[in-house]
Amino acid sequence: MKMYLPPPGGKPSRRGVLKKGLWGGALLTLGGFGALFFRKSVEVPLPPGGLQVLSAREYAVLVVLAQRLLPKRAGAPTVDELGVAATCDSVLAQADATSQKEFKQLLGLFENALANFLLGARPGTFTRMAEDAQEAVLEDWRTSRLSVRRTGFLALRTLVMASYFGNPKAWGAANYPGPPAGVHQPDAPVWRGGDVPRPASSTPLEASQRDAGVAMDAGTSPDVGAGAEPHP
Amino acid sequence: MSQGRIFTGEGLLQDTVLDCDVCVVGSGSGGAWLAHELVAQGKSVVMLEEGGHHTRREFDMTEARAYPALYQELGSRTTDDLSVTLLQGRSVGGGTTVNWCSSFRTPKRILERWREQHGVDTLSEAVLGPHWDAIEQRLHIAEWPKEAMNENNKALWDGLGALGYERGLIRRNVHGCANLGYCGMGCPIDAKQSMAVTVLPDAVEKGLQLYANTSARTLTWTGRRITHVNAEVLDPTTNKPTGRVVTVRPKVTCLSGGAINSPGLLLRSGLEAGGRVGRRTWLHPVLISIARFDRPVNAFAGAPQSVYSHHFVERGPGKMGFFLEVPPVHPMLAASISNGSGRFTQALLDQLPQLQVMIALAVDGLLPEETGGTVRVRSGGYSRYSFTYDFTDAHWEAFRFAQKEMAKLQFAAGAREVFTLHADPVRLTSVDQLHLLDEAPWKPLHVRVATAHQMGGCAMGKDPGESVVDPHLRFHAMDNLYVVDGSVLPTSLGVNPQETIFGIARWAAQHVGAAV
Ligand SMILES: Cc1cc2nc3c(=O)[nH]c(=O)nc-3n(C[C@H](O)[C@H](O)[C@H](O)COP(=O)(O)OP(=O)(O)OC[C@H]3O[C@@H](n4cnc5c(N)ncnc54)[C@H](O)[C@@H]3O)c2cc1C
Ligand code: SF4
Repeated sequence: MKMYLPPPGGKPSRRGVLKKGLWGGALLTLGGFGALFFRKSVEVPLPPGGLQVLSAREYAVLVVLAQRLLPKRAGAPTVDELGVAATCDSVLAQADATSQKEFKQLLGLFENALANFLLGARPGTFTRMAEDAQEAVLEDWRTSRLSVRRTGFLALRTLVMASYFGNPKAWGAANYPGPPAGVHQPDAPVWRGGDVPRPASSTPLEASQRDAGVAMDAGTSPDVGAGAEPHP
Repeated sequence: MSQGRIFTGEGLLQDTVLDCDVCVVGSGSGGAWLAHELVAQGKSVVMLEEGGHHTRREFDMTEARAYPALYQELGSRTTDDLSVTLLQGRSVGGGTTVNWCSSFRTPKRILERWREQHGVDTLSEAVLGPHWDAIEQRLHIAEWPKEAMNENNKALWDGLGALGYERGLIRRNVHGCANLGYCGMGCPIDAKQSMAVTVLPDAVEKGLQLYANTSARTLTWTGRRITHVNAEVLDPTTNKPTGRVVTVRPKVTCLSGGAINSPGLLLRSGLEAGGRVGRRTWLHPVLISIARFDRPVNAFAGAPQSVYSHHFVERGPGKMGFFLEVPPVHPMLAASISNGSGRFTQALLDQLPQLQVMIALAVDGLLPEETGGTVRVRSGGYSRYSFTYDFTDAHWEAFRFAQKEMAKLQFAAGAREVFTLHADPVRLTSVDQLHLLDEAPWKPLHVRVATAHQMGGCAMGKDPGESVVDPHLRFHAMDNLYVVDGSVLPTSLGVNPQETIFGIARWAAQHVGAAV
């Protein structure tokens, strides 16, 4: 029976901490050495609200990647019309610093000519390639034998798909009717205790008065105890 | 005892020091029931919750609002290599605010196994039964009527009937449910009996002080006692620390942050239990099978889960079992969790109303060769940990087998096509093509795997050399530290976990209370 305790106030020991990031040693360095290996990326106009996490160059790479990942189609808004790359940037702004860093490295790796050559034998700066070559690069990543590339493809794909299909303007393309109308009550009371008695609407009794599958209570009760409560 | 209060980041503008009997970290399945019982015993309880206090006022049923506000890491938590996508709750109510309401008592065979192999001699159906009775009553847990079943569940029901497989109707914790189908984004009418609308407000009425947007960062300890819980206030909009701190000086500390996060807090505090903290994390890893019908299924509407099958839950020695259910299908999650090229996803999403989806949840943690998931602290990470999960051959054997069974069920229910979530999706147009699944790669990152059931990492057990907490959930090497959440489960369950965690927490409250 082995007991282990670090000294009082001890810090996590080495084994409890992961030092290297998602991309491991060599690849990480490639993604980061932008200045050395980047040829000039194409320039794209920045979103009206500016960028929070991505650099102009990373943004340009993401714009092109999103265009290739979700190509233009009749009857559906384009990724640019929905500002998908800008949405990704604002989502990243809320993300953990480590995720921001890795996503930036990923974009660097997509664009990096040397990395494209070493990993996929397709030399060239991604944003400067012809569209079909760009699609071929994406396909290389998706089906690569290197798990690190498949990981990178999934990271990119997940964020772009979420940013596009999370936008109500894309729902039509998915024949998705959206949530039922008249259900959500943006003025529903919020109860946070303190000096305010619990309102009836947050007790189970009132819920029982609802008819399952049909209408909800009209909910005209005023706002009770909503908003910021200063700490005593 | 006077009424308690829910504080949020907006109101926490000063550094605060709080003394109390018990500090509970986390407001989900485990934390809520624990705190509810403790205030009923007359204890003073401070609860810290790093997520926000979100209510039906905000629950507008849109995915783009819900995932960032209500899920860990904005809904994008994964293993380090992205081979497993982790859906996990993060707000007042924890997983219960966003979960799909399926409610099962712990299977007897699992409780017996814990007793025999892990020395958990404290738990049995007899011990937990009265707790489950009380919980089921409070949360209105009842079988969802067959007549109200949506088409997505009905396809599973019909498929199971056609193949003669075991099938059952799911019990749900709902009251006045309008069968809308948006449980995963927060119930807009408070019909779901989540912790945030049931036992947490009950506990606040009895004195619970709940600090939302407040993340416990470390525990301070000397000898065998935790002296402080050190927490930071987060800005409710940006989710970043505001610089304000909350310091709690409790007599007893309980971690209820859920799997991954409770181990993470222990690791950050230098409490590693010989390297066992964060190890043996189980996921019920999920394989997803997508079918296209030529009639509308509308899997975005109606109670998300109402049918299950435990037909394959025990598959014999050396094999991993699995159970079958269906998930709700909404565009953002469906598109981001699908696989293949972007064009493939576009074509798939075009037919969203015709899609029927089944899931096979693997029962991990029961085979001797399994090591499961490992949580580590990530340098520079705030809400993100390093998390790896080790797949075994048994996982892939089970997944391949499960994919075939799901395809059979889907075709039996009338599917026209079935797709896998491979990087190169396999497309089947009839049951005669099941052999195509044998040629597909069954390996990490070649096919997508997801989970909404994180368990383990602070396993309970008798032997301190094999476990993290004792059979009464006390951290072995500390006198006043408990873990009360899904992380104490020594194995996975073979059923959806919330009611197991509710029951264990309600039971554990007497031991925690006695330690004050
Ligand atoms: C989409 C989805 C669907 C699901 N469907 C079902 C279902 O139908 N049936 C079922 O049984 N189960 C379901 N589950 C799983 C179930 O909800 C969870 O297993 C259960 O809630 C876990 O309980 P817990 O107490 O361990 O943790 P949680 O309920 O996750 O609560 C932990 C809480 O602690 C907070 N926290 C963590 N760390 C800290 C910290 N350091 N400081 C402050 N706060 C912290 C978290 O923000 C979180 O709110 C589902 C889960 C998801 C995500
Ligand atoms: S299905 Fe019922 S419980 Fe779920 S969101 Fe709709 S009304 Fe609420």
